[in-house]
Amino acid sequence: MAIESLTVEAAQALASGYTAIGAGLAVGLTGIGTGLGEMSIGAAAVGATAEDRGMFGLALVFTVLPETIVIFGLVVALLLLFV
Amino acid sequence: MFQPRPMTHLLIAASKAQMASVVTELYRHQIFHITDFVDQGKEGYEGVKIGVPQEHAGDLSNDLLKIRSLESVFQTNPSTQSNVQIRPAETIRAAIDSELPKIDEEVSSLTVKRSNAETRIRECQQRINELKPFALVPLELDLYRGYGNLTVYAGYIEHDIEISFPHEKHYQAGKDGNFIVVFVESKNSAEVEKQLADAGFQTVTLPGESGTVQAAVDKYTVEKNEATKVYEDCNVKIVELKAKYADLLAACDEVLSCDVERAEAPLRFATTDEAFVIDGWIPADEVEKVVAALSQATGERVYVVVDSSEVEDTAIPVEYNNPSYAKPAELFMDLYSRPKYKELDPTIILAIMFPLLFGFIVGDLGYGLLYLLLALVLRKTLLKMGEMGVKAFFVIIGAAISTSIFGLLYSEFFGVSLPWHSIIFSRHLPIGAGMEHAMPQVIELLIISIMLGVIYISVGRFFGMINHYRMDHPGSHRTKAILSQFGWNLILWGILVLVLSVVDLNEYCQFPFALPTFVGIPTIAGIIGAVMIIVGCVFVAIENPLDLMELPTNTLSHMLSFCRLAAVGLSSVAIAMVVNFLAFDLFITPAMINLDVVGVLLIIVGVIILILGHALNVALGILGGAIHPIRLHYVEFFTKFYQGGGIIYKPFGLKRKFSEE
Repeated sequence: MAIESLTVEAAQALASGYTAIGAGLAVGLTGIGTGLGEMSIGAAAVGATAEDRGMFGLALVFTVLPETIVIFGLVVALLLLFV
Repeated sequence: MFQPRPMTHLLIAASKAQMASVVTELYRHQIFHITDFVDQGKEGYEGVKIGVPQEHAGDLSNDLLKIRSLESVFQTNPSTQSNVQIRPAETIRAAIDSELPKIDEEVSSLTVKRSNAETRIRECQQRINELKPFALVPLELDLYRGYGNLTVYAGYIEHDIEISFPHEKHYQAGKDGNFIVVFVESKNSAEVEKQLADAGFQTVTLPGESGTVQAAVDKYTVEKNEATKVYEDCNVKIVELKAKYADLLAACDEVLSCDVERAEAPLRFATTDEAFVIDGWIPADEVEKVVAALSQATGERVYVVVDSSEVEDTAIPVEYNNPSYAKPAELFMDLYSRPKYKELDPTIILAIMFPLLFGFIVGDLGYGLLYLLLALVLRKTLLKMGEMGVKAFFVIIGAAISTSIFGLLYSEFFGVSLPWHSIIFSRHLPIGAGMEHAMPQVIELLIISIMLGVIYISVGRFFGMINHYRMDHPGSHRTKAILSQFGWNLILWGILVLVLSVVDLNEYCQFPFALPTFVGIPTIAGIIGAVMIIVGCVFVAIENPLDLMELPTNTLSHMLSFCRLAAVGLSSVAIAMVVNFLAFDLFITPAMINLDVVGVLLIIVGVIILILGHALNVALGILGGAIHPIRLHYVEFFTKFYQGGGIIYKPFGLKRKFSEE
């Protein structure tokens, strides 16, 4: 079996590679999720703001709500890479 | 601080004879917020109607309209007028009477002349365009008309065609389309038309000119040039007039705006046949001054009542009452919503925390100095924008200074280490040469962020309790609402106690102080934590059991949301370090070893990467550094206690720039 023939260094290298892939997936996938969420909110927010400029503050808040998802992804990636 | 400016409800009543002096006096003080009278036909209000504007209001409005139209011709705007010369209002009114008709006549004769010239230019150009295709046909223009039994067709066609009747045809293929002129006997015209239509024929108007095409085109060109000259002359004259009269017009605009506003003020009053009542609000500390001034102006023929009866919170105008350093943050408050009168005004927290959080996120000496530079470059533009621009200017300055200070503490300058080790937390990542062993203190940054979150949410709930106490009507509902807020805090702290009873955070991170931990007494702490959570849930459920559904978002998610402070900051450092790595380690440093033509090119590429990369990061820093702290306040903090929706205090009167009474 290939796994049995791995040296310790190779195994560590493999592990850090997987960690990096995991971190990338964490940020990338959550980024897509955030994008999907913000897509429709953003469109509606722009519409609402065009109708009434006073809506801008609230519209901004609503638009950045899904951003939390990608931030959590980023936190997970940071924890994977540096802890 | 935390409170808007105290307001007093005033009712001013007098006979209509005193209306002008009362209005003038109120207008002069610029502190009285008028509540518009709405004629709802309520009981006890019989015979009370909305007032009518003063007699001369119509004339004033007409004059103002004239001035605005002149301003639009000159393309000036009083609000952006810079060289301010203050003149007495009386001289301006005299100028409106004596000079305005003259200026108006002068300008309108010029604009009429200009628009005629403009029309002529357009017409000539159109004729020239229409004649152009005929230039290719070797016929004089008179030959296209005046026949008894011949029909002439001219226009564009998709391709050349054969016409099956006796005819004369001129066909010219061209880039803009194929031009065709056909002369046929009128008796065959219907058939020919059909044949032409089949080939996609589009007719053009036959020329009415005489002589050769070129002669006609030349004639129109000359005419067009003459009209253009007239048009340009008019423009020059208008610019001259603008230079001469722009200041005066701005002053006239201001004086007339004031006069119109005063003349139309009765539209906001309640009036009877003989008397009127003005309902409004005034800062409590100004009451005596204004009442005395009103009495004096009317010879004590005015009746002022201070109404201290309970009024709906939403009917009271709200004016911020913040220390000067907190004023810029009012920008963010108004972006969300003005606080209600009895609500806690959190401006001061935003004023202190926004720059701190911005600095915590971006934290780079280089970027901080760049933001400072940016603020100074934008200074003139922002200050011109009025109050809002001034606030924005100081917000940027605050954020820039804080970013610089955090940059010194983190030891960062455009992503590069400063000569000292980071003083608070290290955010240097293992990217680039010499940084292989860098280890950012991610856990410490995350814990600090979450601790901040816990404090924010707890304070928010505490403010919520105060708001419910002050704004709700006394009774069981209020008690339940306050208990519910307290319950949420119990749940939050209960979860913390539970977590700390099983995890010792000190094992994972290094702070100059020991973090509290209950791992030594897990059972007791666990029980206390669980009891806190259960009691908290009960308190929340007493008000509304459905609220418990929000438990995951309201506590955990909101608390963890503060992680963004650390995460966005680290990503900004990562971008800066990657840009430096690309520019220096891949391009500039290797090229420096053997400097030749290729090396110089590589250095140029490196410098471009460096500039573009950091420019991108500066822009992202503004977005991330500003939007995330604001969002944390709006979503995680304000939702705990803040409603907003107060009326903005708009005192009756206009701030004068160009004139004085």
